[in-house]
Amino acid sequence: MSETQNSIFASYEKDSKFYDEIFDEKGNVKKVYQTLFDLYSGHSSQDFAKLNEKAKASFFNQGITFQVYNDKEAKEKIFPFDLFPRIIGQKEWDVIERGVLQRSKALNHFIWDIYHDKKIIKQGIVPLDLISSSENYLHQMIGIDPPGGIYNHVSGTDLIKHSDGKYYVLEDNIRCPSGVSYVVCNRTALKRALFGVFNHYNAHSVTDYAQNLLEMMESVKPRGVDEPNCVVITPGVYNSAYYEHSYLAKAMGVELVEGRDLFVENDFVYMQTIRGPQRVDVIYRRVDDQFLDPLEFKPESMLGVPGLFSAYKNGNVCLVNAPGTGVADDKAVYTYMPQIIKYYLGEEPILNNVQTYHCSRPDDMKFVLENIDKLVIKPVDEAGGYGISIGNTLTKDEIQKVKKTIMASPRKYIAQPIMSLSVHATYIEESESFESRHVDLRTYCLLGANKDFVLKGGLTRVALKKGNLIVNSSQGGGSKDTWVLKS
Amino acid sequence: MDYIIKYRAENKYEAQVNEALWQFLIKPEESADQTIRASEFTNSLGAAVEESTNTYGFEIVRIHPKKPFTEILFEANYLVRKDQTNPFSALDNVVNTEHYAAVESLDFKIRYERFLGSTELTILPSGKIPFIFDKQRSIFDNLQGLNTYIFKNFQFKQQVTTVTTTLEEFINQGQGVCQDFTHLFVAIARANNIPARYTSGYLHQGNGYFEESQMHAWAECYIPEKGWLGFDPANDLIALQNHIKVAHGKDYNDCAPIKGVIFSNSAKNDTNYTVEVIARKESEPDVFHPLQEFEPLPFKQQLDMQLQWQQQQQQQQEQQKQQQTYTPS
Repeated sequence: MSETQNSIFASYEKDSKFYDEIFDEKGNVKKVYQTLFDLYSGHSSQDFAKLNEKAKASFFNQGITFQVYNDKEAKEKIFPFDLFPRIIGQKEWDVIERGVLQRSKALNHFIWDIYHDKKIIKQGIVPLDLISSSENYLHQMIGIDPPGGIYNHVSGTDLIKHSDGKYYVLEDNIRCPSGVSYVVCNRTALKRALFGVFNHYNAHSVTDYAQNLLEMMESVKPRGVDEPNCVVITPGVYNSAYYEHSYLAKAMGVELVEGRDLFVENDFVYMQTIRGPQRVDVIYRRVDDQFLDPLEFKPESMLGVPGLFSAYKNGNVCLVNAPGTGVADDKAVYTYMPQIIKYYLGEEPILNNVQTYHCSRPDDMKFVLENIDKLVIKPVDEAGGYGISIGNTLTKDEIQKVKKTIMASPRKYIAQPIMSLSVHATYIEESESFESRHVDLRTYCLLGANKDFVLKGGLTRVALKKGNLIVNSSQGGGSKDTWVLKS
Repeated sequence: MDYIIKYRAENKYEAQVNEALWQFLIKPEESADQTIRASEFTNSLGAAVEESTNTYGFEIVRIHPKKPFTEILFEANYLVRKDQTNPFSALDNVVNTEHYAAVESLDFKIRYERFLGSTELTILPSGKIPFIFDKQRSIFDNLQGLNTYIFKNFQFKQQVTTVTTTLEEFINQGQGVCQDFTHLFVAIARANNIPARYTSGYLHQGNGYFEESQMHAWAECYIPEKGWLGFDPANDLIALQNHIKVAHGKDYNDCAPIKGVIFSNSAKNDTNYTVEVIARKESEPDVFHPLQEFEPLPFKQQLDMQLQWQQQQQQQQEQQKQQQTYTPS
C-alpha cells in the first residue's frame, strides 16, 4: 500500500504557510479524511488518469459547460471537476450554516432599510455615500414593499480558510449567484466515478436544493394568489450560466422562459402557452436589473419584459431576487458587515470578515499606496474575479499602473491583505497525481417568508494553477464535490 | 384659467410592425393648483388603453396593439384648470443662514438623496461647478441667478441635441433645447446641495402659438420652509401659471413622454409629434375646443410682469438692508 500511496501523493508538497485541509502539522492525515485517503491510496495513478478522463467526458456529454467572457474566441468550456472531494464535519458546518444565514438575514434588513427609512445611515453607522454613489442603488425601488419583505432570496456567500484555520467571508453574492447546478453535478459525477467511497461516509444530499428553491419561491407569492405559478427567466442560450438556468427549471418542474415568452397586461404578467396566456406569479430571474424591463431600465434591452417592473411595483408579481439588491453586494458594503449584523440583529458576527481598506478614505488610501505589495486590490462592483490585482505578483511598472488606476477613482477600489487560502489535495493531469492546490467555498442560502434554507454542501472551487489564489471558473478554476457529514 | 391641451403623435413604419408597446407620460398631474376637468386618449388602431402609474406615482398609459400595422396615430386631449399662484413672498430674498445649514445636514441629504445625486445625463464635466452659490444671498436669489446665468450663456436651438446628449456635449456646443437647459440647471443646483428635479409638462406661449410644438421641460428645486418651486432656464422664468406640469424625476429618462418597444424587420419610421396649448375662459363647458374668442395676456407681457415683480423684490430687499444698517441700536 505504501508504494501506491507514494505514487499518487508523491508530488504533494506541504507548505506550513497555508492551512492544509488533509494533513495536520505533523503530516498525518486528518481523521475525517483518513478512510477516504486509505481508499484512494489503494488505486494506481493510471486508475485515476482513466477516471479523470471519464468524469470529463461525462460533463461534456451532459452539456455542462460555461462560457468565458473577454476571451478572444468565446468558447464553451467544461468546468474542470476534481476527483478528490472536500469533507466538512458536522461541527464545523454548523458554524458555517449559522453564519451564512445570519449574514443573509442582516443583508435583507439592510436592503429594506436603505430603500425605506435609511435608519442605519441616519444613525451614522454607514455613510450616505455608500448608496448615493453606488451604481446598483435603484431609485425605482424606494418605498416598494416586496412580497414577504424579502430582497435577497438567493445568496451565495464565498468563504475561505486562512492560515489560522478560521473561516473568513470573502464576499456575499446576492445579485444572481451561480454555481449551484455544479454542486449537484459534481455529486453525480463523483458517484458515477467512485460510487464505493460513499458507502464509507454519511454525507448530506445536495439534490434537495431545487425543492427548497421552489418552496421558497412559493412562500413569496403575491397577495391574493393561492397556488403561485413560478418560472425561471434566462437571458438565453448564450449566457454563461444557461446550463444552470435550464437545470433549475427542470429540477423544480417549472417553465424556463425568455423575455419574449412573457408579456404584461394591466400590470399582470402572463406567459404565452399553446393553451393561451397563463398568469405568472413568481419569477426566478437570472437577468440583470438593467435588462429586466426596457420601459424602466436600459431601453435597448431585448432580454426583459416591457412593463415587468410596473407589475412588480404594483405587487402583482414577485421577482427573485428583488431588483436593486446589488447595492448590498457591493464590496464597499462588505466592509460594514460586522456593524450591519450588530445593528439589525443585535448579534455578534459568527463568521469573520477580512480586514478591508477603502480607497475612498484618505487614511486607508495612504496605507494602500504604501503597502500595495502586501495587498489584493479589488474593484468594488465586478464579479467573477475580473479586475483583481494581487500585490506580490506585480512588477514595478504594474504597481505604478495600479496606483494610478486607484487614484483616478478611489471609490471604485478596496484592498485586503493577501489571504492565504487553504490547500487541498487535487488531481493534477500533468503529473497524474494529487498535489496541493488553493480552495475556497461558495455556500448557498435561501430566504423566503418564514422559510430559510442553507444547502448542506457547496461549491469548493479550486485554483488549478500551482500557487494561484484566484479560484473563479472564468480564471481557470475547477471545482470539487463537497460533503457535509451527518455526524 | 383653463387650458386645452392637444397632444398628437403619428408614427409611420416602413415595414410592417408585428408587435409593439408604447408607454405615455403626458397627462397633466393633479395638484393643489392644477385640476383636470376632462381627458381622453385614443389611438387609430382601437387598441385597449391600460392605465398605470410610474415610479414617482405619475399616471401613465400603455398601448399594446394585438395585430400587425404600419401606422398608428395617438391623440390625447386634456382640459386643465390652473389657479393663480404667487410663488413670491417676503421670505424669498431674505438671507437665512439656517437654510444653508439645513441643506448641509445629514437628515436633509438623506431625505432628498434622490434629487441630489447625479445621473448619466446630469454629470457636470470634470466635476466643475460653473455657478457657485453666494451664501450672502438667499437660496431663492441664487436659483434665480442660476436661471438667468444659463439663459444668457446658452442658445436655444432645436435639432442640435438629442435626448441622450450629455452636459459635456451641451456645454461645449453652447446650444440645445429645454431638456438640455434643465439638465444643466438641476446638475448645478444639486452640486450646490439644493435638491432639484427634472420636470416635464406643457408651456402656454399664447393662443395660436404653434412654432415649437413639443412638450416642455423645466426644473423644480426644494427650498427649506418653502417647498418645491419651478425654474424655467430656457425662458429665464419662474414656472407659474403657464407651466402645466406632467411629471418629475431625476432626469429626462424618468419623464420621457413616450417610450416604445417595436418588433419589426426595419426600424425605419417617420414620427410626427405636435402639442397645442390653448387658453380659454373658465366659464365655458368642459369640451376640448374653445367656444369663445379669448386672448389671455400675451406671453411677452407676462414675462415683463415677472421681471417687474423681481425688480420690486430686489428694491424691497435693498430697503430692508438699509433699514437694518441705519437702525440706531
